[in-house]
This record gives sequence, structure tokens and C-alpha cells, in this order.
Amino acid sequence: MSTAHDRERAWLLVTRREVVSRITDKSFLIGTVLMVAMIVGFIGFTAWQEERTDEATLGATPEAVAMAQAVADAAPQVDDKLEVRLVELDDDAAARAALEADEVDAWLHPVDGDWQLTSESSEQDSLTAATRVVVRQQVLADNAARVGSTVEELEAGSTVGTEFLRGDAERAAVAEAVGFVFVFLFYFAALVFGMQLASSVIEEKQSRIVEIIAAAIPLRHLLAGKVLGNTALALIQLLVYLAVGLVGLTFTPYKSYVPALSGPAAWFLAFFLAGFVALACLWAVAGSLASRTEDLQATSTPLTMLMLVMFFGGLSLDGRGQVIASFVPPVSAVVMPKRILAGGVDWWEPLAALGLLAAFALATVWVGERLYRRALLQTGGRVSLRQAWSAAE
Amino acid sequence: MLEIRELTRRFGEHTAVDRVSFEVPAGLMTGFVGGNGAGKTTTMRMVMGVLGIDEGEVRWRDQPITRLDRRSFGYMPEERGLYPKQPILDQLVYVAQLKGMGRVEARTRVQELLERFGLGERGKDHLEKLSLGNQQRVQIIASVLPKPAALVLDEPFSGLDPAAVDSMVDLLREHTRDGVPVLFSSHQLDLVERLCDRLVVLAHGRRVAAGTVTELRDAGVPRFRLVLGGDAGWVRNERGLDVLDLDGPTALVEVREVGAEQHLVAEATRRGDVHEFVRVRPALSEIYREATA
Repeated sequence: MSTAHDRERAWLLVTRREVVSRITDKSFLIGTVLMVAMIVGFIGFTAWQEERTDEATLGATPEAVAMAQAVADAAPQVDDKLEVRLVELDDDAAARAALEADEVDAWLHPVDGDWQLTSESSEQDSLTAATRVVVRQQVLADNAARVGSTVEELEAGSTVGTEFLRGDAERAAVAEAVGFVFVFLFYFAALVFGMQLASSVIEEKQSRIVEIIAAAIPLRHLLAGKVLGNTALALIQLLVYLAVGLVGLTFTPYKSYVPALSGPAAWFLAFFLAGFVALACLWAVAGSLASRTEDLQATSTPLTMLMLVMFFGGLSLDGRGQVIASFVPPVSAVVMPKRILAGGVDWWEPLAALGLLAAFALATVWVGERLYRRALLQTGGRVSLRQAWSAAE
Repeated sequence: MLEIRELTRRFGEHTAVDRVSFEVPAGLMTGFVGGNGAGKTTTMRMVMGVLGIDEGEVRWRDQPITRLDRRSFGYMPEERGLYPKQPILDQLVYVAQLKGMGRVEARTRVQELLERFGLGERGKDHLEKLSLGNQQRVQIIASVLPKPAALVLDEPFSGLDPAAVDSMVDLLREHTRDGVPVLFSSHQLDLVERLCDRLVVLAHGRRVAAGTVTELRDAGVPRFRLVLGGDAGWVRNERGLDVLDLDGPTALVEVREVGAEQHLVAEATRRGDVHEFVRVRPALSEIYREATA
């Protein structure tokens, strides 16, 4: 009845239970759906913001209609989010009345040989900017024609081109934003699933079902199953978020970045996997040190501190500090993917960092297993790390 | 047969279990009694391998016990609880699978046991939705999965109503009938006396008594009650006897020298009528109180 084969798959049974009991849990499903809705909503909002065009109305008295018409015609070329509609007005008094009645956003009229744009306040920035450009071009063209030249001739040799050695600013901004998302997702998933893992360890310890399990299978298998189950869940959830995010991005003006983001996203998943396994074992230990759910706050404090260090370290480090941190586990789990995103990383660097992180994960699995095994069956109050480490089994 | 030999466990300076030895013979119910902190739970946890053994050993079928042996045992821990927020059918199947049963086989067996305890319709209910008595039934089902080679039950009857106790006892008897040794602890001496074939008494971490109920009751210094036609005052002068109680024609004596009770009867019949002469066996509770004092 009991064969070596059975014992080998004991961890698999535990993994299965962890996953099944979690994905059939309503709060988990609702949380995931809410998060997906948030991602979709955020991307949708960004896209709408980017696509949206301002419609402005420009008032003009007869002597300014020609110029205002030129502004209205040329505005979309100057600012692709601006549409200008021309409203013809009889005289200055009518124009002022129209402004006050909010029938027009601004009033264009000539003053002492120059042009003046009058509006109630400075809200119509894009209209002002477009008007300036168009009026300047028009007047410049007229003036050039008067002296027998062309605008092109006058402007020849005056342009200043730009070239960026470290990539352009928009790419850097996108890398920064996605880097923040990576760090946040890691922090969020590690905290939520870590807490969940720790409390399920306490649940088993508190209800003493762990004694029934311990009599049936080696505790190593129980730990392995729990860590694997929660890692799988975290990874699946993360994949869903990333997929929704990347697919969503293709509907926004940033869609050209999606192919460039896929590589770093894959690295992020690899780092997440190794980093999460390392942390999961520590969360399991935090759970096993507590005897009741109320103790978890205390036993998990060092871990929550570590998570905060990772979170803020991941966000704030730059320069040499960032390079060093990108190799130091477990912080490397968030810092290296961020560096990969920013670019300029040698091919061996992510591999080396991942190797170190994996080695660290192995070490925490080993230490964690010993602590977990010894603390788990001790009852009556909190167990200190030292007690757990040196306790007889 | 399950054999516990010189088992010792210390927690720091405190010796919780001190060289305890006893046997749990196949096919018999062995009751494990003792006050709070006597070391019953610690002993049972060591037997099940969930707590390390400092000294001594546990033997199963004349061999040192192994993890696989223990895996075939049914165990009910002291403060029970399975997963409160999981359907009972699912978690019982899970426990059975951990003990090496196939999934399909486990489902069939669990459903069978649930029906037997009147819980056949409630497989999908979360454990916490059940009454305490029903939770206890689920717990006992968990301990008899799959077919246990031995049963180690820590306070299995606490919190059960008499009907539940009876159905549980029936289930246990089925197992002893198949030759399974059963060890269970309890505070309820009357229950232990009624159910147990054998008894082990623990006090302050030591085994203070062990044997069948009859053996234990016979084990002490024999006592006799004598009821005469007349006054029994003369009994005080008889040799080899301690008089524990004297009340008119009735005397309760303890025999110090072998055969002294025979002289007593002879003397009594010589002096007059003897209405009653009977061996008095102490109640289990009395033995227990003396042993654990």
C-alpha cells in the first residue's frame, strides 16, 4: 500500500490542495478579477487621455477672419490633439460679449499692427500655442514675400537637430514606468502570497492537522508542496496581469514598445520565480514560529521589513548602488529586471544575478526547511528562531 | 502489538515522560489515563513520531517502528481540527491520499464512512459549519483512513454525546475485532472502565499502573468485609489484619499476612452468625486516585 512511489508524490498532493483550495476561494477570485479590471481601466484611461482631442472655439471680427481661418485650418498640424472652430463676430463689443457668455474660448484681433489673443483666463494653453505658431508663420511668409524672399530661405541653417547617446527620453520614461510596475507587482505578489502561505501554515499548526500530516508524510514534502503551490499561484496570477497589461498596451499609442518589453518581462518572471521561492520558505518559517494567527504580526516583522527594503531599494536605487544591488539577493530580484528594462546591461549580468538568486533560494530552502520542521510541532506560544534552530526533533 | 519501551522526553529541565513502558496488544483496547500534564499526549506524540524521542524506543510487530509503519496508523491529535474552511469530503480524501490511498478508492471509502455516521449528505459542507459532535465524527473518520494497522487516539470521546460515543465505540470494536491494537487516552474513568480491555495509568510522567481492569483491582492488598450477627469489636485483636473501618457488626479489613482472612472467618463462625464475608475490590477511580496521588 505504501510504496516509495507514493512518498515521492506526497508533495504533489500538497501542491494540488494548495492550488485547488485557493482558486476555489471566492476572495482570491474576486481579488484577481478586480486587479485585472484595474489594469484594464488604467490602460484604457491612459489611451483615452492620449487620443482625446481638445475642441476650441476661436472668435474673430471681420478684419481678423482671414487670419483666424488660417489658425483653424493649420491647428491640427501644429497640435494633433487640437481642433479649432471659427466663430465670426460682428465687432469688438460682440466679441467681448461672446467671450463673457462662453460662446467662444478666445478672441483674435489685430492691435497696433500686432495680433492679440484675448481669453477669460489662461486655460486655453494649446489654443494659444497653436495660434502663436500659425500667426508667426503667416506674418513671416507675408514679410518674406515683401522683401522678395521665402520663409525657407530666411530660416535656412537655423535648425538645431538632436541626437541621444543614451536613448531617447520617452523610452527612458517608459522604462521607468514599467520598472515601477515590475517592482510593485513583485512586492504585491510576494506580500499577498507570502502572508497567505504563512497563515495557512498557522492554520495547520493551530488545528493540529499538521500532526496528522506529519505522521503520514515527511514535513519536507509538506513545505515543498506549500511553497510550490503558492509559487505556482503567484506566477499564474502574475502571468495574467502581465498578459493583460501587454495586450492592453497594444491598444495605446505605446504599442511600439510592446516587443521591446516582452524580453524584460520574461526576465522579470524568471527573477520573480527564484525570488519568490526564496521568500516563500521564509514566510513558511514565519508561520511555523507562530502558534496562533495573532502571533504572525510579530514573527513576520523581519520579513515585512525585508520586503519594504526591497520595494524602496528597487524604486530608488540608481547609479553604482543600483548596479551592486542588482547582484545582491534577494533585492536583485527586483533591481536587475529594472536595469534590464533601462538597457545597457551586458548579457552575462542577468545570468549571474539569476544564478546568485537561485543559490540564495536554495540556501533559504535548506535553512527554512530545518526551522520549519522544528518549529512546526512545537506548541504553546511563539517559538524564537534560536529555539527553532537548536531544538531537538 | 505496539510496544513502548523506556520512553523518555525532556523539555529543558522538565522531564515530561520518564522511562515509560507498556504494551498495546493486538485486538485489545488499551486505555491511557492520567491527570493533566501526566505525559499522555507527549507519549502519544512520540509514538506517532511527531515529537522526537530523547531515550527509549517504540516497537511495532517486534521491530523498531519506521515512518512507513506510522503512516499506516490512525491518529487523532489532542486539540483536533482539520481544515475549518474546506469541504469535509475533500479534506478526508486528501488525508487518505497522503496516507497512500488512490483518489478514487479514497472517495469511495470516505463516502461510505460519512454515510455510516449520518453525514453522507454533508460532504460539500465546510467543517466549521458542522456541529461539534459532527466535527468529532469527521475527525474519527480521518483517523480510520485507510484501514489503520493501529489506532492512537488522544481524548477521542471528549465532547461527544452518549449516542456518538456508542457509534464511535462500535467503529473501534470493529477494528479490534480485526486484530488492530487501539490506544486511547481519556479523563472519563467510567468510560475507560466500560470500554477498555487494558489500562495504563500515568502520573507525573511515570507509569504508575498497568494491566487489565481486573488485574488492577486485584493488585492491591486484599480487603474483605465481614458482617456479623453481633458486635465486631473483637476483630481488632486478630493477627495479620489491619482494620480499616469498624461499625457495629460490620468490619472492613485489609489482609497483611497470607491466610489471616481464613482464621478470621473461622473465628467469626466460632463466635456466632456470619451474615456476610466478601472480598472488596476498589473501584477504578479509587485505584486511580491512589496511584496518581
